[in-house]
Amino acid sequence: MRYKWWGLAFVLPAVGFFAAFNLFPMLFGLYLSFTDYDLLNPPIWVGLDNFFNLWDDRLFRQALGNTLVFVAGATLPVWVLSLLAALVFDQAFRARDWLKAAFFLPVLPPIAVIAVLWRVLLHPNGVITSLTGGWWGITEIRWLADTALAPFSMIAVHDWAMIPFFMMIWLAGLAAIPPEFREAAAIDGAGPVRSFWHVDLPQLRSTAVLVAALSSIGAFQTFALQYVLPNDAGGPANSTMVLALLVLKYGFQYFRMGDAAAISVVMFGMILCVTLGQLWFNRRA
Amino acid sequence: MRNHPIRLLIALTLAVIFAFPIWFMVSSAFKAEAEIQAIPMHLLPWDFQGLAQFRLAADIGPIWIYFANSWLYAITHVVITVFFGALAGFGFAKYRFPGRSLLFLAVLSTIMVPFQVLVVPLFIEMKALGWENSYAGLLVPGMMNAFGVFMMRQYAADLPDELLEAARIDGAAEFRIFLQIALPLLLPALASLAIIVFIWAWGAFLWPLVIVQDKALNVLSVGLASYTQPYLGQPMWGAAMAASTIATIPIAVLFVFFQRYFVKGLTAAAVKG
Repeated sequence: MRYKWWGLAFVLPAVGFFAAFNLFPMLFGLYLSFTDYDLLNPPIWVGLDNFFNLWDDRLFRQALGNTLVFVAGATLPVWVLSLLAALVFDQAFRARDWLKAAFFLPVLPPIAVIAVLWRVLLHPNGVITSLTGGWWGITEIRWLADTALAPFSMIAVHDWAMIPFFMMIWLAGLAAIPPEFREAAAIDGAGPVRSFWHVDLPQLRSTAVLVAALSSIGAFQTFALQYVLPNDAGGPANSTMVLALLVLKYGFQYFRMGDAAAISVVMFGMILCVTLGQLWFNRRA
Repeated sequence: MRNHPIRLLIALTLAVIFAFPIWFMVSSAFKAEAEIQAIPMHLLPWDFQGLAQFRLAADIGPIWIYFANSWLYAITHVVITVFFGALAGFGFAKYRFPGRSLLFLAVLSTIMVPFQVLVVPLFIEMKALGWENSYAGLLVPGMMNAFGVFMMRQYAADLPDELLEAARIDGAAEFRIFLQIALPLLLPALASLAIIVFIWAWGAFLWPLVIVQDKALNVLSVGLASYTQPYLGQPMWGAAMAASTIATIPIAVLFVFFQRYFVKGLTAAAVKG
């Protein structure tokens, strides 16, 4: 097998690249999280101090809380609504393909476009206000400037963009169920609800876990909406400050690279938990 | 239940709610500034502006430079990921060499680490290399995606070994076997991968935002954010919507012309990644 070394030659460019731009920064970031580093002076080893300090850091706690609220709001409603949408579009009916394409449109624009677009739509006296509050004679809603409302505006925009995407994943899962299963259930006299509950849902198990995992992993990393939508990133009054945004603030505004790296490590730990949870669920099945 | 009017009604409602903001974006790009926030909203521009808002967008910021940078960013990511991903995927799938599992595990582990976690150390690395605020720093670190290696390994594993063996007996060199036998057979998978990587790269926001300070190096996603700021004391929503429309067109074109690959690719990326 003299050609076996060719395999190594073929994978080396990719492996070398990942070593330089993924694995090295991964380890370097872990190291930085144990140091104080301001880019000017050499890093000083401080052990676990950065992590202890984070625990006492009110802004970090707020960002952590905001992120968890966002993850909850970006996971459960998305899971339920994207499944319901998939059940609506799963079966053939008149004009289905056109309606499905229209429903799918939010998947197309990049996240920055979504943020800019919704900033216009959510103008206090704007279109969304007139379509919601207008019925009750309300002409001004401060969707993005009210500290109580802004986090939920972020969730609503995010969910609008993600539900069609996850509908597509559910549809792929539904398409993989052999039609005989449903036919058999129909012959046995099961209605559409019972047929879904006892035939489709058990078959959709891995899709269900996948949608939950992907939506929460994506939500943990949320950043662009909170950066572009409010007047000041993470505002008003830090009500939409999330972990990824705090990494940027500490790293590139305050040059506290050690703290920023420590927050990154915490983020990674939480995402890793979701990934491991997903593996555990799938293995149990 | 199949053709039940209720199903059609729900589908219609969903389609209208979810498509409405996109309709608002595109129609506002052709409206006069005062008309954009008109209540009740005008579904079509009453005072049609032609391309005036697009010209205004170009006056406010160097939007065509942003646009060109976005293309450069997306194309380098697609070409490098597709070619080297296929090469490495083929290597991992069809050759046995010492350290293969370990190297593959190393590649796989990079998929699990979100970019948000890398951004600080990677920025410091770029600074050390002197690549801060340059095309090298903007383009190089993300231009190869481990998902490409992972996906291509799965497809390359299905290539028939007899075909590769026959070529070897005919005296073909290993690299030629990859180029002339493996690549053409992998073409549909390469197309799906190319579309996924293009969508990801076109939407990239965090890294271009962090690594670049020069306006001339900004990609469209980052440049867009500047349109939310007032220009000469006036909000410029029309120009913002025109710029947003421009930033959406390439993905929309991909969707219309390659719908099958588009949905297949995105689904594959979600399920396997």
